[in-house]
Amino acid sequence: MSKSHVNRKEYWAIFAVLFLLTVLEVGVVYLGIAKTPLFVALTGLALVKATCVGLFFMHLKHETPILRRSIAIPMSIPAFYALILIAEGAWRRLPW
Amino acid sequence: MSTSAVSAKEAAPKHGSGTHAHGHGHDHDVQGDPHEHWPPDAQFGTASLGKIGMWFFLCSDALSFGGLLLAYGILRGQSTEWHHPGEPELGINFTAGLTFLLICSSVTMVLAHAAAVENKRKEMLTFLGLTILGGALFLCGQYKEYFGIGGPGLIEEGLVFGHSAYASTFYLITSFHGCHVLTGVIYLTVIFIRALLGQFEGGKHNHIEIAGLFWHFVDLVWIIVFTFVYLVPTTPS
Repeated sequence: MSKSHVNRKEYWAIFAVLFLLTVLEVGVVYLGIAKTPLFVALTGLALVKATCVGLFFMHLKHETPILRRSIAIPMSIPAFYALILIAEGAWRRLPW
Repeated sequence: MSTSAVSAKEAAPKHGSGTHAHGHGHDHDVQGDPHEHWPPDAQFGTASLGKIGMWFFLCSDALSFGGLLLAYGILRGQSTEWHHPGEPELGINFTAGLTFLLICSSVTMVLAHAAAVENKRKEMLTFLGLTILGGALFLCGQYKEYFGIGGPGLIEEGLVFGHSAYASTFYLITSFHGCHVLTGVIYLTVIFIRALLGQFEGGKHNHIEIAGLFWHFVDLVWIIVFTFVYLVPTTPS
């Protein structure tokens, strides 16, 4: 039998975290702060939520480092492209 | 544990290779999927082949979503006018509810897996059923958002596929995700029927965990889509 990790308390804690972060995300939009800090805050919150789901619900926390990296590296490639895209957009908008 | 693990290892080729997958009483169930009982691997530990396969599929699927979201980002970054006059705003509060629904169904999915590990049949079936219900409700919510139930939907309000980059990227990304939810609901229904037939008795949780991976991925993608498609565009530019 493969080792299985069951931790119901942890699952409910992650559920509470995801719920609170979702409320925070929607709340932050209504705050009416400037565009750039809002974008950074929303992206950060989304990444934290996605990481929580991956690590705890998808049990990545309990997988071997090699399997974890085999997943994390391909998953980070679109994020890297997005960074280049944002940097390029910002560079084009500079008042040259 | 060590002696029974050895006996399971020895028994696996004998019983796992044949077609008689059912009904031999062994303390440690070695019937069914023999991949579930391979000895721990140096690189992948106790992760089953099916699980590794599902993970690599999910990576490629993530790249599909990544491509769509990047295309959306490029189009939006270049546009001088994203919202054309007459096009509706996306409803944040309603979709925040849908987000919450998917998070709930993710929790019921891990609880179904926990029940399968602990061989609690009734609990497993209940939580699997609740997960399917959550997915089905999400699809109803998306139908309401597009076409309207008890009120106009986005299409009626003037957000028409093909009329603007805003409309096209919105429908493409959310419906691609919706297809994943539909796939997940069908997949989980098959798993539910198999559980009902008693195929996951005795702590055989591998298939439930793999189905769970797909379902959590759908939830994970929605977290990203909800942020970038719904929340970010509401900022005044």
